[in-house]
Amino acid sequence: MRRLSVLALLMVLFGGGPSAADEPRTLTVLTWGGAYEQSQRAAMFAPFTQATGIEIETVRYNGGIEALRDHLAQPGAPEWDVVDMIRADARAACAQGLLEPFDPDILADSPDGVAPEEDFIDGALGDCAIVQLVFATVIAYNDDAFPGEKPRTVADFFDTERFPGKRALRKAPVGMLEWALRSYGVPRSQLYDLLSTERGMRLAFRRLDSIRDDIIWWRGGAEPVEQLTSGHAAMATGFNGRFFHAQVIEGEPISIIWDGALLEYNSWAILKGTADKDIAEKFIRFATGAERLGDMANRISYGPARKSAQRRVGLHVTTGVPMRAHMPTTDRHMATAIRKDDRWYSQTEALRQRRFEAWLALGEKQSAKADQAKSEGPRND
Amino acid sequence: MLRLESAYRIVIMSLVGLTVGAAASLASLAFIDALFWLNNALLVSAYSRIQYEAQPALLAAATILVPTVGGLIVGQIVSRWVAERRGLGPPDAILAVQTRESPPSFKSGVASTLAALVSLGCGASVGQYGPLVYLGTLIGGLAQRLNLMVRDLQSVAIACGVAAAISTAFNAPIAGLVFAHEVILRHYSLRAFAPVTVAAATGYVIANVILQRPPLFLVEFAGVEHGHEFVLFAVQGVLAAYLAAGFMGLIAFAGRMAQRLRLPAPVRPGLAGLVLGLVALQLPEVLGVGKETLRFATIEGAFTVDELAVLVAAKLAVTAMCVGFGFVGGVFSPALLIGVMAGALFGMVWPLILPLAHSGIVPYAICGMMAVTSPVIGAPLTTILIVFELTRNYDLTIAAMVAVVFSNLVAYRIFGRSLFDVQLAARGFDLSLGRDKAILGVRSVAENVSQDYIAMRADESLGALTARLNAVGRSEAVVIGADGVFQGHIRLQDVVDEPPETPLGAVARKDELVFRETTTLWEAMDRIRDFVGEAVPLVDARGRVMGVVPEGAVIQGYMEAVHDLRREENAAA
Repeated sequence: MRRLSVLALLMVLFGGGPSAADEPRTLTVLTWGGAYEQSQRAAMFAPFTQATGIEIETVRYNGGIEALRDHLAQPGAPEWDVVDMIRADARAACAQGLLEPFDPDILADSPDGVAPEEDFIDGALGDCAIVQLVFATVIAYNDDAFPGEKPRTVADFFDTERFPGKRALRKAPVGMLEWALRSYGVPRSQLYDLLSTERGMRLAFRRLDSIRDDIIWWRGGAEPVEQLTSGHAAMATGFNGRFFHAQVIEGEPISIIWDGALLEYNSWAILKGTADKDIAEKFIRFATGAERLGDMANRISYGPARKSAQRRVGLHVTTGVPMRAHMPTTDRHMATAIRKDDRWYSQTEALRQRRFEAWLALGEKQSAKADQAKSEGPRND
Repeated sequence: MLRLESAYRIVIMSLVGLTVGAAASLASLAFIDALFWLNNALLVSAYSRIQYEAQPALLAAATILVPTVGGLIVGQIVSRWVAERRGLGPPDAILAVQTRESPPSFKSGVASTLAALVSLGCGASVGQYGPLVYLGTLIGGLAQRLNLMVRDLQSVAIACGVAAAISTAFNAPIAGLVFAHEVILRHYSLRAFAPVTVAAATGYVIANVILQRPPLFLVEFAGVEHGHEFVLFAVQGVLAAYLAAGFMGLIAFAGRMAQRLRLPAPVRPGLAGLVLGLVALQLPEVLGVGKETLRFATIEGAFTVDELAVLVAAKLAVTAMCVGFGFVGGVFSPALLIGVMAGALFGMVWPLILPLAHSGIVPYAICGMMAVTSPVIGAPLTTILIVFELTRNYDLTIAAMVAVVFSNLVAYRIFGRSLFDVQLAARGFDLSLGRDKAILGVRSVAENVSQDYIAMRADESLGALTARLNAVGRSEAVVIGADGVFQGHIRLQDVVDEPPETPLGAVARKDELVFRETTTLWEAMDRIRDFVGEAVPLVDARGRVMGVVPEGAVIQGYMEAVHDLRREENAAA
């Protein structure tokens, strides 16, 4: 009897009590779809369900914090539990009270017993989120679009004379400003200082203006790959793992320009007020373990955020492609990478959005005027 | 024995280079970090201002209040703790090294550095390199206290500190090395060269290799494409010289204006801060060191011609005001900024006048930057090397070289070698004719005074004088009044025809050469040229005779000083 109660206590402690086993619970995870979500399903979600019996449901998320704000504004308890979000967004969401505070004690030690504070990369532990992987937003191009000279630099993205063709850009003021300014030769270390000035912003948008007619927009991470492979775009910005998947696993004619790769961090966070905080924490502990992170990195080329997992990066699980060379964190890629300044991002959220929308509206006005001029043209003749 | 001595010297000098270099380098990094921290905390930097872009009233208040309050604090620090009642900088380093006198006290130095930090932290339009040079001087000056029994230790240690500070701040060790020689030491002896090189390299290693600081200024530039552009660089150099001279003249003018204002000295920087803040409301570019503006000036299309012209004028005016009204800081960074904008302006304007091909504004911006800066700090070689080390671009360096040389030539004619030298000259230390004159100009002839002379009272008779002179075998005497005041000078050969009962006061010659306490060795040498007697009387401020200076002693003093200099300049180890 006594032994049984100890067992029962243990089961309650570890969250796998009889009641939980009786009524199946599900965890709702917001994540990014496509090859990335597939990799997560194989490396994290399925093993978690297998280990705990808890099902994972995913909801499509394209970044930003409006989606979270809108969801929390709805009456009743939130339906979403865990969010896979970019660190800058997590900081902004945390500051606005959209996330639960993060308890670092839930994290597991490395397999050889190194404490998480040591094992995770610097700056991984946030107030509301834990960084799990490093990814890069990069520029890629369709090899078929440039049979001769290949584009190599960020500046080439804006050079539609030498490298004609449509440019697929994310419809959000993320990355585009840095690249625009970088194309003027501004050193990587000075980008955010210059973007903090009115003049810097103006220069960046002026550069974007010069390719305005060639831009096609994307929102979800899978779209730029499709735009490139379908031939709709000659160059596209996008997440490096998606391009890796299309290029290496699916054999599409896509090449990545690593110059100016924007390094960012994905982190796990728990939505404010969720009823399943206990299993959300259990999931984060599981998904950030060295083994799961290492497995993830051998499926899609995103760098794990803990050292014990980095040592597990080897060959791709199905094709056997060596993964290290494709990681955004290899020395060769780091040498020209732009480290995204999260602090700047969270401080300039409203400003960037406002400037970007104004710029879009200006373009619409201009094209409307051009259309009007065209339609008025014949009448004058 | 001699070998052991020089081995000791080599070891000590190298260790001094290493320790002073490391300390100056770390202190410089700490200074720069503290400065950036203040700039961010006080909403001076663009990076910190952008987070309040939705609250323009708060930004405007900070823009006006921060420099004003900062100026008042600077005024207090300087008036309370700096004995010299002004910011210390490169001129003080030059003076200490050239005259081998002690630099201002450690306490003054620390207070001046603190005042510079507050000035720069609050966005005053002054430079960071002047204070960094003084920080190096301060640390180098400490070596003298160690009593290491090595000649020229103070000069070399100060040069080491300065070289390490510049090497660290610019990530440019060669420029640091050359700056210490060109501006501070003003000679190239191997004895100084070796430890200064060690210090500059140490600064570089600490900044670059250990702490991995990003380079201060990177420029991507393909190259000068057209030969005729070199002529334009030379023309630009000449124009830059006038701009530099104007800048220096304006600083001097602002200093005189400040003196004339009926405002206590500690309040003056506050007033300058207020005016600066008001200007910055319209032109935020004038605030602080202006790193962003420095970069924008090398980007085609970042500024229009009008904007550049207005900014050059505004930066000139507010910098002169800030320096003249007592903010503590240098003139190097403002000169860089004024130069780069003027250079970009030149690069944009000449193609409108001359229909010739050109290679964009980058080379003109860089040439302008260096051509304005080098005459201000009096360091053509250093500025050329800074371009080379910062851009690692050969073409750009050659272009800058042409502009820098012409600018220095012209600016020397119209203003002087550098702002530092002109400021020192105003303090009575003139380096324009070289180190010899400067050092002889601060050594007092009183050091060579002799008490071996005959003094007679004015009411004594000529007969008594003759008897006394004959007894000691001399021909000259000094005549003094009852209070010891100099009454004249008598030479035996001039009075042979006078009756022996004549009182000395009636025949003493007063128009003969007399040295005063303040007479320098340089003046003494100049004045004894036509002197025919044995010794020149030396009198104090109240006219009392302190002794005589024999002609031979003046020449000996001169020879010693010059010999000392030559020995220092040619010392091997």
